[in-house]
Amino acid sequence: MYKIISEETDKSGMKVLNIDKSDLIELMEDYKDRKYFLSSITGVDMKDHIDVIYHLHNFDKNDYICVKVSTTDEKVPSITKLWKAAIVDEREQYDLMGITFEGHDNLRRILLPDDWVGHPLRKDYDLNKVQYVSVDRDGNEHVSFDDKEGW
Amino acid sequence: MSHWIELNIGPVHPATHGIYRFRVKLNEETVEDVDITIGYLHRNAEKICELNYFVNNTIYFDRMDYIDAMNMEVGYLRAVETLIDMEVPERAQWIRMIMAELSRIAARMVGIGALGLDVGMLTPFFHTFHEREKIQKIFVEASGGRQEVNYMSIGGVYQDFNDKIIEEIKEFIAGFKGKLEEMVKMFTDSEIFWQRNVGTGVLEPDIALDYGVTGPMLRASGIPYDVRKDSPYLFYDKVNFDVPIARTKDNMGRFLVKVEELRQSVRIIEQCLAKLPEGPYFNPKAKKSAMLLLKGQGDVFTRVESESGEFGVFIRGDGGVKPYRVHARSPSFKNLAVVPIMTKGSLIADLIITIASVDAVAGEVDR
Amino acid sequence: MSILFRIHQWFSFLGNIGSYGIAYLIESIIVLIFVALSFIALIYIFRKYMARIQRRIGPNRVGKFGLLQLIADALKLVGKESILPEGRDDMAYKIAPVIVMIATILAFILLPFGDLAYFGSLAVTHSKVTLILMFGILSIIPIGEILGGISTKSNYALLGTMRAVAKDISFEIPMMISVLAIVIVSSRSYATGAAITGGLSLSSIVANEVIPYGIIEPLGLLIFFISMVARASYSPFDLGESDSELISGYTTEYSGMRFGFFYIGLFGMVYLSSFLISVLYLGGSNGPYDNYVGFIYLFIKTDILVLISFLIWVSIPRIRIDKFVNLGWKYLLPLSMVNLVYAGLFVLYIR
Repeated sequence: MYKIISEETDKSGMKVLNIDKSDLIELMEDYKDRKYFLSSITGVDMKDHIDVIYHLHNFDKNDYICVKVSTTDEKVPSITKLWKAAIVDEREQYDLMGITFEGHDNLRRILLPDDWVGHPLRKDYDLNKVQYVSVDRDGNEHVSFDDKEGW
Repeated sequence: MSHWIELNIGPVHPATHGIYRFRVKLNEETVEDVDITIGYLHRNAEKICELNYFVNNTIYFDRMDYIDAMNMEVGYLRAVETLIDMEVPERAQWIRMIMAELSRIAARMVGIGALGLDVGMLTPFFHTFHEREKIQKIFVEASGGRQEVNYMSIGGVYQDFNDKIIEEIKEFIAGFKGKLEEMVKMFTDSEIFWQRNVGTGVLEPDIALDYGVTGPMLRASGIPYDVRKDSPYLFYDKVNFDVPIARTKDNMGRFLVKVEELRQSVRIIEQCLAKLPEGPYFNPKAKKSAMLLLKGQGDVFTRVESESGEFGVFIRGDGGVKPYRVHARSPSFKNLAVVPIMTKGSLIADLIITIASVDAVAGEVDR
Repeated sequence: MSILFRIHQWFSFLGNIGSYGIAYLIESIIVLIFVALSFIALIYIFRKYMARIQRRIGPNRVGKFGLLQLIADALKLVGKESILPEGRDDMAYKIAPVIVMIATILAFILLPFGDLAYFGSLAVTHSKVTLILMFGILSIIPIGEILGGISTKSNYALLGTMRAVAKDISFEIPMMISVLAIVIVSSRSYATGAAITGGLSLSSIVANEVIPYGIIEPLGLLIFFISMVARASYSPFDLGESDSELISGYTTEYSGMRFGFFYIGLFGMVYLSSFLISVLYLGGSNGPYDNYVGFIYLFIKTDILVLISFLIWVSIPRIRIDKFVNLGWKYLLPLSMVNLVYAGLFVLYIR
């Protein structure tokens, strides 16, 4: 049985469950049985750890809840087995935030080119480092740091 | 024994209204597999928002769903105003509602026109854009912008409605009612349009829920979920409107749901105009000099019904004048992800129509 | 008396062969100029007409009322760089648009244009088999389309070609069978019931067409009209191009004037099909005083048909390929057979 560390209500009146990440799958399975569906996944870089925030929605009761886990090693178990909506959401958070979702079948970048360096939404991402993207004949994107290359 | 043809639809293709890329594996004319590549319009608005003051960010939300900018602003401001405890005067809320519904009509006009274009009728496209143009003229009158309006601001709206704008809106609504029926007839009178749309791009409700699909796509699959009805924001609980659903789950259902929602939007605007109270259009607490000093602490997640579905905004504030993290739950992003399921085994012509009826906006998919 | 003979008379000092040669040359040029001018007028009318339907203004900048717009467009197309795709079959790629354009224009020379006042008959060809020649030339056009489509490596062009071939094959047979019904009906005069020879020539078909054949066999008219819409490949049957799905079908890889040739072929086919329908089914140049103004009758009928075609073009969505092939094989082919049997019974009856 999963253990809820703390329960609170945030400013928009939503119930927030803080849990440990080892309990995540178990809690999500429970909520899936109660007809909750995944709405969105958000990663927040808190410098020393990363918060991963899941928003679940029950269409019948019109109830939104928020589940928060925090991770220090950038790894969270994947919930793609429970909801297919998590496939693109987890890929997006992997792409921009660098969270590795363990158990995701196809965890590759979705918005940025495959060989992009760094995860832009991290607080330590260097915005001054310019990366140039070029597209080759087959439509595949390539990244380089040299503005002469590619084009 | 089958021969693959890999057909590349996009990034620049008449059928992708925006830039995303479908790599379609074809067996003659039958679609075997669709692989979607997105990100061509990626600007990372979420990162940009972290670097700006709360009040500066509306323009980046304008540019997410760029054909439905007003609803994006409503979505962002709902989150921000909850976060920083900003009251919005009543008149401003009614004005926001009118603008949001006008923007929804304008966005639908693009969607429906583009569907016509993809079916092969050029004519309705011009008619729908004619109506959209009228709405954009109203937007110009109110905000100075046609598409990326930047009309709403924390604590109210940029400029009050004067008599001329109200008159223009009334005139538009009066003309639009008849014009809408005429435009819909252009589609539904055509037997071929029914043939192309009925039974193609079927999306079962359990798959739709599983993939997080919202908006007209979910309603066309038979689930009457509309944020405006289920968790009302602004004054949507004070006006009467219906949430249409379709049980056919196909492209025709989506088209008819969209059309019915247009009629409901007209109804909402009429009621708003009747109820529009006098009063301030801006909260004096958010006046110009204080705008940059607005501080927020804590998490909020609010959602609004945008043109393509449930648009959620997550903001975490750390007590500073800038948001610590902004995340947008964009409906088009989720809706687009279900296209491969909907079109597997169908003809390429059906794939094109399905893409058009999903009506994903590239700016919102990529953010 | 025909225009050909008149010109022959003017140049009779050159001897028989020389004067007939010059007469054919001049008349062909006259027909080509007529066709070219018609194209300009036609495309201008089409664009204005389409603009009106779509709440636009249409071309209005170049020249008075935008009349010179098409010439400007043609100059633009000629001036454009013709981009040659990589990995093409060079010969086939270059010859395809020429085939399409030449075959379309050539077909106009076979039409029985009827009489016009002093000049007499305006028809160039007085062959006895113009009907067969006409459909022979028309069946060259798909070869150009196929060559254009498969000579490049583009998948869009390949799919467009496959669709165009499916379209042409499924509608060729009903079209030819309904033409056959015309030949059967025109083999006997329905005034006297006497047999008429020369039924394979368009001009003798028209000469016998006192009552338009469209009234005698409306089913044939319907089938022929639908087949001709498919042949000219405009909406709802523009499957070879399918511009929202396959960019531009078999013309995807063409640019500049080579694309312009396909464009001319398309509009030429619209015009030609209207001519053919009015010749075969609507009485052609027949009418009161047709010795003097027969050509005008034909022209008016054709232009009305062209406008109807344009109305169909702008208002009907594209049909899906499987439904389209079904229409050809499951409905039009049996119906054309019925029409053929009906034509035979009709001839039996009038005899």
